[in-house]
Amino acid sequence: MTPLEIKGAVAGVTTSVFILVATFTAGGIYRNSIERGTEPGNKPLDAATLAAKGRTFFFQSCAHCHGRDADGGEDGPSLLKLQISGAHMALVIQSGIKDEMPSFAKKYNEQDTATIVAYLKTLH
Amino acid sequence: MIPWDKLHGAMTHFPIALLLFSTACDFVSVAFKKLTFARGLRLVSFYGLAFAALASLGAVVSGIALTKGDMWGRGDFGWHHRFVWPAFGLLVALAVWRLVVRDAMSRTGLCLYLVMMLLASGFVAAAGYFGGELLLSGGSVP
Repeated sequence: MTPLEIKGAVAGVTTSVFILVATFTAGGIYRNSIERGTEPGNKPLDAATLAAKGRTFFFQSCAHCHGRDADGGEDGPSLLKLQISGAHMALVIQSGIKDEMPSFAKKYNEQDTATIVAYLKTLH
Repeated sequence: MIPWDKLHGAMTHFPIALLLFSTACDFVSVAFKKLTFARGLRLVSFYGLAFAALASLGAVVSGIALTKGDMWGRGDFGWHHRFVWPAFGLLVALAVWRLVVRDAMSRTGLCLYLVMMLLASGFVAAAGYFGGELLLSGGSVP
């Protein structure tokens, strides 16, 4: 390899590492701020309050498919002991599953979805 | 409220398509290096790679916003990330390397570059596949 190529490789690796470290740092800070509920204008809610609110939404929109005990119904699988992250649960609630589950993005905003996720996490 | 799911879905296609196209152009230009259009293809692949790297920043930012900063995860979500981060790192490194070296590549440099482009394309394709699985099936549980 020529000196120019080595110089390019050093520049490439350095930039790549710097961007990856910055991305993971920013992502971690963002995640922490969300988990603590410290986004500007948001008052932090305790987990029990969140889950109680989420339980209400669950009975309104989820229970008729997933069962009132969330252990599965005629149309939906059990939601007990889900082994996916909260972000993944929120993604499924917001986006739905093609031909299987509708999107709830119009019905529940991000905060409402977070309460449903908080409730589902209590079912572990 | 910003629809990050739709935005991420839209933005990810630019780096995927541009990187795959850039890789294809590189291989065709090497295979037909004696023909006049080979130089043009190298230029296209250079700009394709540069724009793929730029577009990947938007895709990553929208993805982090969509997942609320969850950078890893489990099941298909985890597999998506296992391929996304190496693809992102490799894409940025290759774009910077190409920006510095331009067409002044030695034979060894060109071979290494093509292997890395193939690797990055594989990572991007796999990340796209698992991203699609998340969207279409909700993702599998490990």
